[in-house]
Amino acid sequence: MNSTPANMIETNSITKVVDTTEGQLQILQPISFNVKAGESVAIVGASGSGKSTLLSLLAGLDEVSDGNILLDGKALKGMGEEERAQLRGEKVGFIFQSFMLVQSLTALENVMLPAEIAGMHDAREKAQEILEKVGLGHRGTHYPNQLSGGEQQRVAIARAFITKPKILFADEPTGNLDAANGTKIENLLFDLNKGSNTTLVLVTHDNELAERCQRQLHMHAGELTELMGEKLDNSEQLARQAG
Amino acid sequence: MWYKLAWRLFRHEARRGELTIILLAITLSVAAVLSLSLFSERLQAALTERSADFIAADRVLDSRKPIDPEWLNNAKDNGLNTAHQVYARSMAFANEQMSLVSLRAATPEFPLKGDLKTTDQPFGVGIVTEDTPKSGEAWVESQLFQSLGLEIDAPIEIGDMTFTVTRVLSEVPDSGFSVFGGDPKVLISIDDLDATNITGPGSRVTYSYFFTGEGAQLDDYYDWLEPNLDREIHRWESVEDDGSAIGRSVARAEQFFLLASLLAIVLAAVSIAVAAQRYSQRHYDPVAIMKTLGASKGTIQKVYLLQIIFIATLGILLGTAAGMLIQQVIVTVVAQRMDIALDGWHWRPLIIAVFTGVICALMFSLYPMLKLFSVPPLRVLRRQMGAGLSSRVIQFVAAGGAILLLMWAYSNNIVISLILFASGIALVAGLMLVTYGLIWIGRKLGQGKMGAWQLAWARIQRRSMDNSVQLISFSITIMLLLIVLVMRNDMVQQWRDQLPEGTPNYFLANITETQLPNLQTHFSENNVIVDDYFPVVRARFVAINEEKIRTRVSKEEEENVEREGRDGLGREANLTWSTTLREGNTVVDGTWLSDQNEAKEYYGVSVESGIAEGLDIGLGDILTFNIGSEIVNVEVTSLREVNWQSMQPNFFFVLHPKSLEGFSPTFITSFHLDRARKTEITKLMQPFSSVTLFDVDARLDQLRSIIDQVSVAVEFILVLVLVAGALVLIAQVQASMDERQQELAILRTLGAKGRMIRASVVFEFIIIGVVAGAMAAIANELALFLLQSQVFEMQATVHWEFWLLAPVIGASVVGILGAVSCWRLLSLNTSHLLRQMV
Repeated sequence: MNSTPANMIETNSITKVVDTTEGQLQILQPISFNVKAGESVAIVGASGSGKSTLLSLLAGLDEVSDGNILLDGKALKGMGEEERAQLRGEKVGFIFQSFMLVQSLTALENVMLPAEIAGMHDAREKAQEILEKVGLGHRGTHYPNQLSGGEQQRVAIARAFITKPKILFADEPTGNLDAANGTKIENLLFDLNKGSNTTLVLVTHDNELAERCQRQLHMHAGELTELMGEKLDNSEQLARQAG
Repeated sequence: MWYKLAWRLFRHEARRGELTIILLAITLSVAAVLSLSLFSERLQAALTERSADFIAADRVLDSRKPIDPEWLNNAKDNGLNTAHQVYARSMAFANEQMSLVSLRAATPEFPLKGDLKTTDQPFGVGIVTEDTPKSGEAWVESQLFQSLGLEIDAPIEIGDMTFTVTRVLSEVPDSGFSVFGGDPKVLISIDDLDATNITGPGSRVTYSYFFTGEGAQLDDYYDWLEPNLDREIHRWESVEDDGSAIGRSVARAEQFFLLASLLAIVLAAVSIAVAAQRYSQRHYDPVAIMKTLGASKGTIQKVYLLQIIFIATLGILLGTAAGMLIQQVIVTVVAQRMDIALDGWHWRPLIIAVFTGVICALMFSLYPMLKLFSVPPLRVLRRQMGAGLSSRVIQFVAAGGAILLLMWAYSNNIVISLILFASGIALVAGLMLVTYGLIWIGRKLGQGKMGAWQLAWARIQRRSMDNSVQLISFSITIMLLLIVLVMRNDMVQQWRDQLPEGTPNYFLANITETQLPNLQTHFSENNVIVDDYFPVVRARFVAINEEKIRTRVSKEEEENVEREGRDGLGREANLTWSTTLREGNTVVDGTWLSDQNEAKEYYGVSVESGIAEGLDIGLGDILTFNIGSEIVNVEVTSLREVNWQSMQPNFFFVLHPKSLEGFSPTFITSFHLDRARKTEITKLMQPFSSVTLFDVDARLDQLRSIIDQVSVAVEFILVLVLVAGALVLIAQVQASMDERQQELAILRTLGAKGRMIRASVVFEFIIIGVVAGAMAAIANELALFLLQSQVFEMQATVHWEFWLLAPVIGASVVGILGAVSCWRLLSLNTSHLLRQMV
């Protein structure tokens, strides 16, 4: 498959198999799908269906057992841990269910972190600017445990956007929040996404949140389907073509 | 970028108290090592200074002939103080009687160290004097007053000159500690020596040159002097060469200090390892986050290495300050209790302490750091994921290697280091087995309804690896504390046992066979208890295997003796006979006299091992003694080690009784007379004016005071190590509390009563404490056996009391610490706990 700049993420028959005490377990069946630049995609499904595994593979946090993934045209296969980290630093932003802020850094410093890792010189100014955007300009000197859950997630969102990533991965971004805070975070996330034309891949089991995305993919027992019902595995088709 | 991030992390974590434990551990290690070693170095210097009193200088050059005056000039140019004394044996005449005396002719500077004591009546209490005899004066020891019927201002003739006896000489610093070592001493001015005419050609005279000054000056001087020295003629002596009871006590105390400092290093290392482990675990998340956000491994390594450098630097600075302070407090307190000056400054402890801080911080954080670096970024999604590195080989190699390296570097003594290290390894291996055994038992015991007891077992079981690490560190700490405690007790006890109450303070010699029954009756009538009388036959030791040896008995004879031949005793030998091996004597080679085959050509003799080595005498050698006009040949059948510290008459040569049949002996004995009865001594000895009396009270007092002072010092060291150990325990409990926080929060949230949680934590710590204590007692026994038998040359004993005491102490201390830490944790509200967990 040729990669085109229009596709920010391309996956080609990716699988994930892990070793367990009872032998090998296939967590992901062969999955193939593409995400266009600027598109927002929700991956929904029950707990344990393989959503987070897929996310970890897409983000290069983990390695596929088979198949290939291209992020912005770059194949993850064959990349070492270091190269994948570099790629993440350049192109990817993250938002997690449990916020994953560094407890010993202030809100401002947490936001600065990816900018500093990327070697940006005006990290502090940028961080302050984006904290203002998420409405926490006045809380920059606070530590994460001095902030509420909603505030922590806003800091996490600010952190995710500071490097202007091409792709944003969000893992249950509202999972730890109450409804009111959840909605605020959703709005913020989509507003920023729209403003910066970022490709958004969002894992959730919240249908309302999923519906705000342009596409919804459903994960069930390691198989991924488009909400329309199309099975997102082209391995059979490829096999036929080859045959 | 990374240095900014490292600094920022360090600053915030320090402010938030995240670094307290690891900082405290490094601070503690540096402080403990610095205070211990600085104090012990100062104390050693002070004790060495005290010991210098016993050779009357820092260094002594003994020579058989006068040295080149240039040598002394050079010493003075080097900034050293010098004094000079000439020793000779000669006859003294007075009241138509004569006696062999040990003549000392000294310059006015003598002694450079220690005190000369004199009195105005024989056997009186000596008073320190700054003077030395003026020309024409002689200061004479008490027993010479007795044997020559002297009085103050009476004349005494030595060689060609007549002196006036002006004072009773009661103490000379460099007189050694051998009761039978010499003839009565006479001190005169060196200006009169030539006039006596006893140092002519062929005479056997020792010229002693005394030096004092700074250690470096003395070493420089010796470096210059050494090429000029002739082993046959010269002997360089320093305090360290002092083989006396005091010298040995000081040497043993020094080894104890060394041991205590080594243990402090190990304690410090353990606490750093514990703290570093905790630090590493707390940073799994930040590392995973940074990796996820694109940080390279190199960046993360640099960030955390710099953090460690920041922490180590701060810890070393704080530790140095604290160590100086602690040390100063101890010095002040000790100086009040002991009459010594502890003001010298030493760089070595500071260098050692900083080196320890750096090595500990790096080597003990190496494994936790490697673990930290191996945390996968995926942890941001899979929260349960730990570090990728699981092999502990690196940890054991790095930590073990660092400990051994530090011990060796610090002690320069591979034996002590290896003994401690090996017992540590044995302990770790044993504990591993016990932990897993315990977990197996726990599975059985912990079944049933969930109460505090079951919860405690369940926790121990669940965290078997963590618990075994914790158990091992508790055990090592307790073991190290026990070692120091027991060593201190045994050592002080053995010192005190050497000089128990009632140690003989008077010695009698020259009791004739006819006097003996009368003397025995007289003494028992006066309530003076005398245990034993030893027969003595004075003899000249003339040949070994028919090879003539050099002797010197008196000036007259000496002139006729050739200067060739084997080394001899340098004086007459006191021979005794017995078939009973006396207390304090141990046969180290051959067979004791009573057990030997009597069919040999010569009767047997048992020779003291030190003199045998000095004179190159071995088993089977034939020794020839000249007694009066008779020749006695005996064969060496055994070598004996003799405890010279026993204050009992001891002999170089013990012969088979039959070999001395027909010779009439004199007898010697020792007895104790209370200080209160000291005035009776003249009256007691009046009927036996020809019997020689030695008063060793002054020497005993000196020895006792040294032992007391060293004991006090040892006790202070013990307290220091105990404090260090207690702090390590606290650090360990705190570190483990941290791991428990989450669990406690969950239990509380689930509605478990505070009392039950507390009880379960306390039970858990008690169980760990008991096991750690028991294991420590066993390992302690092993380490002590090796240390006492291999290093301290002490009698190794089993310490049963600690087998019971250690588990009890372990349980109480660890239990209490656990309870206290737990109290703090449970006093926080649950939501706070839960928030901290995020």
